[in-house]
Amino acid sequence: MNNCEDQESWEIVHIPDKPPFPPHQQPTVNVYAAVIDPKHANTLIRKLNQILPLENLRHVKRVRKQHLDEGSTQLSVILCLAGENNSQVDFIPQEVVGLIDSYQLDTFITKVCRYAPLSKEEWVEQCKIWPTSFHPPTYNISGITGFSQEESQLVCTFMKLALDLAKSKCQMVNAAVIVDPSTNEVIARACDQVYSCSCPINHEVTKNHDNMLLNSSATEEPKLSYDGVSCLNPWGWSNQKSCDSWHPLRHAAIVAIEDSAARDRNLFPGGRHDLTEIDHVEPALTSPSPKKQKTISMDVNDLEELNTRTNGCHPELSRPYLCTGYDIYLVWEPCAMCAMALVHQRIKRIFYAYPNPTAGALGSVHRLQGEKSLNHHYAVFKVLLPQESLNRGIMSLVSKGDHPKKPSNMPHGASL
Amino acid sequence: MASCGDREYLDVVAFMKLALEQAKIAFDGLEVPVGCVIVMDGKVISCGRNRTNETRNATRHAEMEAIDVLLDQWKKLKLSKAEVSEMFSKCSLYVTCEPCIMCAGALSFLGIKEVYYGCANDKFGGCGSILSLHTMSCEEAGGKSYKCTGGIMAEEAVSLFRNFYELGNPNAPKPHRQPVQQP
Repeated sequence: MNNCEDQESWEIVHIPDKPPFPPHQQPTVNVYAAVIDPKHANTLIRKLNQILPLENLRHVKRVRKQHLDEGSTQLSVILCLAGENNSQVDFIPQEVVGLIDSYQLDTFITKVCRYAPLSKEEWVEQCKIWPTSFHPPTYNISGITGFSQEESQLVCTFMKLALDLAKSKCQMVNAAVIVDPSTNEVIARACDQVYSCSCPINHEVTKNHDNMLLNSSATEEPKLSYDGVSCLNPWGWSNQKSCDSWHPLRHAAIVAIEDSAARDRNLFPGGRHDLTEIDHVEPALTSPSPKKQKTISMDVNDLEELNTRTNGCHPELSRPYLCTGYDIYLVWEPCAMCAMALVHQRIKRIFYAYPNPTAGALGSVHRLQGEKSLNHHYAVFKVLLPQESLNRGIMSLVSKGDHPKKPSNMPHGASL
Repeated sequence: MASCGDREYLDVVAFMKLALEQAKIAFDGLEVPVGCVIVMDGKVISCGRNRTNETRNATRHAEMEAIDVLLDQWKKLKLSKAEVSEMFSKCSLYVTCEPCIMCAGALSFLGIKEVYYGCANDKFGGCGSILSLHTMSCEEAGGKSYKCTGGIMAEEAVSLFRNFYELGNPNAPKPHRQPVQQP
């Protein structure tokens, strides 16, 4: 938990809710629209919103007002979605056909932007196609708009902790560190336990690992094996060698969640009545009830993690609802199982170092942070490591078996 | 269910009734009422119910509970990983609500044979509602698709949810209280 001397070379990038597109290249969908007589506008829009609300296009304005050259204005209204292949036999709902007939509308196909704008810049570009509305994010998760020097230093400290954990095993694995950012306390830390052999280093495995490196260095493309990283290869558990203790679903994030739940049960024992009471007093953070303090002081000594607090002051301990307000640091982008587990457990921010092109659910294959239907949303950040620090990490992993060996082909974030 | 024979359909309903019994136990324990059973060769070999409130671990869904029961059993029998994988490929899961994205992913990783579920899960469903992890198999990484059939005794599953949320989830703080299903 030292400070990061090379912090300037780390970079923290927010991974947004939707795939990044340049503002002037926003994806669009086709819709049927029609020019309408302004005196019918209110009635028509009311009827259209009743029979066919634009469920997935809430950011799109139903009506467009255009100023024509002669100084007059023209109103157009979106009727319904159209197909993408410009075929004239698209299905128009019967009620809409009814409106088209009774108001004698001439329909035309036009484009509107598929996703709500994320910035004012995007919004300006979108409105050139068809007007949309822009709502700056209502949630205020710190970091989305940038990190202070102090914040980025903490992020890099905790990411290093995760990297060190991942390297501490005889095989490359994923690691997870759950942190309470209000106190900088480490709540839980865990590695993959899918093929957990009880390290410190098992010589058998180290030898295999060396052999693997030797073998691979004979081929054209030598590279380190990431087969042991559960989220990268979640289907491959039955093919991997391991010792007695294994579990196909014990990915690092799942284990860390379990540990944080165990900590919660330990710190705040008692049944539901207790819980209701604590929930009830939660708003009064500055004056905890005597009972609550007593509960805490009884259990604090059992938890060495509580000693890792860095800011020295004694934080008010109130029982959080699951991991509300907590951050998690992961070496690799989580798979769908882990990413959804982190939604369920109410994690506030996720930081990961390497993308996961085979199974990643936070931007690579899926993008759970953009699934609007979920009942909780976290903010996702990728932490770009300085190349030097990464290489040092790989080197120290490779040299674990007392045979320092420099892999000739360094992996880097982009190619993983 | 048109493709099922009458006999087969009766079996499916019988197993779903057992899953609903698990859901009722969860309900009585003030848990979000979801239950499941795992069936191999026509026999129930494991069951599970949601225990998220009790464990304070929101990942302890019925499916995860039932899977862990099996893994414990099979490890006691000293089965190898390859054998365990082979066993999962013969298992059918009956669950009262469509598996969430987390569970649907887990079932894909395990290589389960098939899933029958009760009601759909419009908010978190991973077998067609939000994501389709049952068909999204990464074959070069060893992923397999599994068959998924919904709508088995869905009304019973929904009415349990309705009863539960009428009472209010006693453990969720107010802002998180959802008037909809939260399996």
